[in-house]
Amino acid sequence: MPEINIYEDLSLVRRRANTVFWIVSAVIFLALSFYWKVQIVDHKKFSGLAEANRTRQRALAAPRGLILDRTGEILADNGASFKVSFIRENVKDMEVSLARVSRLLEIDGETLRARIEQYKDLQAFEPIVVKDGLSPRDVAPIESRRLEFPELVVDAEPRRFYPNGTLAAHVLGYLQERTPEEIRAEPDRAARAGEMVGKTGVERQYDDILKGVDGKIIEVVDSLGRVRAENARQNPVQGGNIVLTLDRRLQARAEEALEGREGVVVALDPASGEILALASFPTFDPNRFITRFTPTEWSQLTNDPLSPLENRAIRGLYAPGSIFKLVMSLGGLDFGYVTPETSVYCSGATQIYGAVRHCWFAPGHGSMNLSDAIKNSCNIYFYTLGRRMGVDLIALAAGRLGLGQKTGVDLTGEKEGLVPSSEWKTRTLKTPWYPGETISVAIGQGQLQVTPLQVAALTAMVAERGRRKRPHLFLSAPAGGKGVSADTEGAGAAAELPFKPSAFESVIAGMWRSVNDGGTGNGAFVEGLDVCGKTGSTQVVSRESAERLSRAGREIKTHSWFSGFAPRDNPRIVVTVLVEYGGGGGATAAPVARRIFELFKEIQDK
Amino acid sequence: MIDRRLIQEVDWVLLGLVLLHSLIGVFFIYSSSHFLAGDFYVRQLVWIGVSLIALVLVLVIDYKFFVSLSIYFYGLTVALLAVTLVFARFIAGTKSWITFGLMQFQPSELAKIVLILLFARLFAGYKSAYLTTQHTLFALSLAGVPLILIILQPDLGTAMTFLAIIGGAFVLAGLRKKAILFFLLAAILVGLGGWNFGMKDYQKRRLTTLVNPLHDPRGSGYQVIQSKIAIGAGGLTGKGFMKGSQSQLRFLPARHTDFIFSVIGEEAGFLGVFTVIVLYFFMLARMFLSVSKARDRAGVYIIFTAALLISFQFLVNILMIIGLFPVVGITLPFISYGGSSLLTNFVACGLVLNVKMRRFANV
Repeated sequence: MPEINIYEDLSLVRRRANTVFWIVSAVIFLALSFYWKVQIVDHKKFSGLAEANRTRQRALAAPRGLILDRTGEILADNGASFKVSFIRENVKDMEVSLARVSRLLEIDGETLRARIEQYKDLQAFEPIVVKDGLSPRDVAPIESRRLEFPELVVDAEPRRFYPNGTLAAHVLGYLQERTPEEIRAEPDRAARAGEMVGKTGVERQYDDILKGVDGKIIEVVDSLGRVRAENARQNPVQGGNIVLTLDRRLQARAEEALEGREGVVVALDPASGEILALASFPTFDPNRFITRFTPTEWSQLTNDPLSPLENRAIRGLYAPGSIFKLVMSLGGLDFGYVTPETSVYCSGATQIYGAVRHCWFAPGHGSMNLSDAIKNSCNIYFYTLGRRMGVDLIALAAGRLGLGQKTGVDLTGEKEGLVPSSEWKTRTLKTPWYPGETISVAIGQGQLQVTPLQVAALTAMVAERGRRKRPHLFLSAPAGGKGVSADTEGAGAAAELPFKPSAFESVIAGMWRSVNDGGTGNGAFVEGLDVCGKTGSTQVVSRESAERLSRAGREIKTHSWFSGFAPRDNPRIVVTVLVEYGGGGGATAAPVARRIFELFKEIQDK
Repeated sequence: MIDRRLIQEVDWVLLGLVLLHSLIGVFFIYSSSHFLAGDFYVRQLVWIGVSLIALVLVLVIDYKFFVSLSIYFYGLTVALLAVTLVFARFIAGTKSWITFGLMQFQPSELAKIVLILLFARLFAGYKSAYLTTQHTLFALSLAGVPLILIILQPDLGTAMTFLAIIGGAFVLAGLRKKAILFFLLAAILVGLGGWNFGMKDYQKRRLTTLVNPLHDPRGSGYQVIQSKIAIGAGGLTGKGFMKGSQSQLRFLPARHTDFIFSVIGEEAGFLGVFTVIVLYFFMLARMFLSVSKARDRAGVYIIFTAALLISFQFLVNILMIIGLFPVVGITLPFISYGGSSLLTNFVACGLVLNVKMRRFANV
């Protein structure tokens, strides 16, 4: 048929085309079955991945509890600030990103890199704080360029604020960021990167009460990390407040009274052990540490030869000087080496163990009983007593008054000090005790080392006629939480009184005369308050402090002490003052104490 | 100008399927780009209109006329490709775009159509059962010039599509087992050589991430990982139109272009995927089976290579977004956003319709 002839025979190519089509069909079927696997069989897995993709959990920092003084004044508050964090997960090219972020935030490139390097163990989605303490004004330019910087997030966070600046800085302590090591050390604790925790002082001691419970927020984010919606939110719970035993007025007065001299003022209530004021100078502004980045300032403070960060009240070790004569007197009376009437003649110098020893008063005090000796702080009297008692009984008396042991105050880092004894010397120095050394110890020199808080606690014990209360700062936590209280646990704890009550009365009589009867402590005299006290001046400078001193470029002068209480009956306040290199205790430390006593009387009279 | 009878002979079912896919595409382009500036779905609608006009123009003229002119088209295309290579600026890492005033165009897309016509012309009179070496080499060298120009751009996806068309045409013309073996061997050698000397690092990475996408999860593996997450998260019924988190929150790359099928997988689920794939199957079947309606050998080649062009892009695309094929930048015909690609595929489809409606010799 002609019609057929006009068409070519195409059956072969058609067959081949059909074959290819069937191959295509088979591949389509294979693809479809793979989609089945991904979409139906593995649906759960991918669904979870999609969910993880789109949601981000973010910690909401809990504001810390407030720290208040006993009158309700706020010592540590919270403000608001902004922080900028860096999320490695959103970085495409680390080098480019670091350079851009460093320019935007005006952070040195190396600092930024080190900062991010420091947290390299954290998950890539965890934000790393790279700048903080920013005001809304500071973050506006960063917020506005958000699209260009998917790796940055800006968050508001509560920020610790100390309204009184340096006031009670050593008591309050300061906050610093938890280091990655600390985070690793406590894997159970739900820590967030960049969390600020108390490093010293009350902030550290009561961190558990103050820190509160962080909240969290689950947000829907897009691929650039921008928040699109909020899925769930658990609000943070502010930490519990803490009321301290401090009295802001006395604290301020104590700091003021030091007049910029290095030293310590401690005031406490002997009946309860409540610390009313605790000043240590030089000091620092804890507000400075709220930020995570102060490398220069931080190293300045830590390298300062005067160690402003150290709380000298619990960490400064000093020879007690003539303050130690209180210990000698109590021991001597109790152990029967002296009676209140025992009299010693002071000619201004005496020869003991072949060496001439001088009284601080060259003309000599003449014939002195115990009360006279305390009033005038006569060295000759106590040389004589020391020689009779021997070092081990002196150490026993000192131990009963809490020296050589921590007071148990609720601040970390307290030092024990040192009360030498013959046993101690053979154990640590491998040499026998020489009787001549006892003579130095008898007037509070030699190897004796005490902290100002130990002296305050000792004075409180004298004031309370032997009843000991642990010095402490914690008054109450209204929302709950336990703190250290006035229990008798800790140093010098004993069910019975360490010395006879009559011994205390004799010593107190001497202390009263020291202030009120023209003695060495008369600089602390306050009309109508019946202040009892004892002065001290340390002559020995330890090697450590001598070095510090020469670094600070100071001439070597004696430290001055005053420690006393008031009133004589039913004492209400103990004040201990130490002024480094202040010279004679009567001239320098006693007037400082007077200013505290004066204010206390004023407050009490109101 | 055009006969009534010819209009009756237009395969309206095939055209309908093409338009249906295009509309499905517009919907998901809207879903995946409504939050971007540029109204991509409107532009796509405009391009569909333009492509339809082009398709009608292709229908009006007898395909034999195109075939007869194919050698001129070929020369023009090679020239355009060469010009592109010299003058075009880099866009997304390749020099494949050429700008005419406001319009941007990819000559390599045009080259696909030209290749279809060229092979129809080459093999129209070829009646033996198997290709001779002479013929093979001649066809290869002709197709090789534009192919090399495209490789130089470099546009790996288009080059692969080219190879598929060439391979398909050869299969149709009849390849002996020896020749198949030879080509396989050559392919392996070229592949190894290319890997060691010719391939860019990003292309190598794409191949290695095919084996293990997690090897480079933030880089080239990212696209495949996100795409698989999107598809898998879709489940049976999907997350709902415009409700896919992967696409709406932009985790998915190239959502409205190369990865549009992932959006369908996420938002319409396996049911949507199944529907589109089955519809596609019908469309491809309709094209391939039209081979039996072709009046002459040139017609068979046109239908077959055009159908293969669309099949190949379709398969590579749906396999690459699910991690079974390297990410080579091949779009999903008719559905992905993009004017050049839409126009090319509409024209290819127009050629199929053209051959099919002119199946009677006496017209």
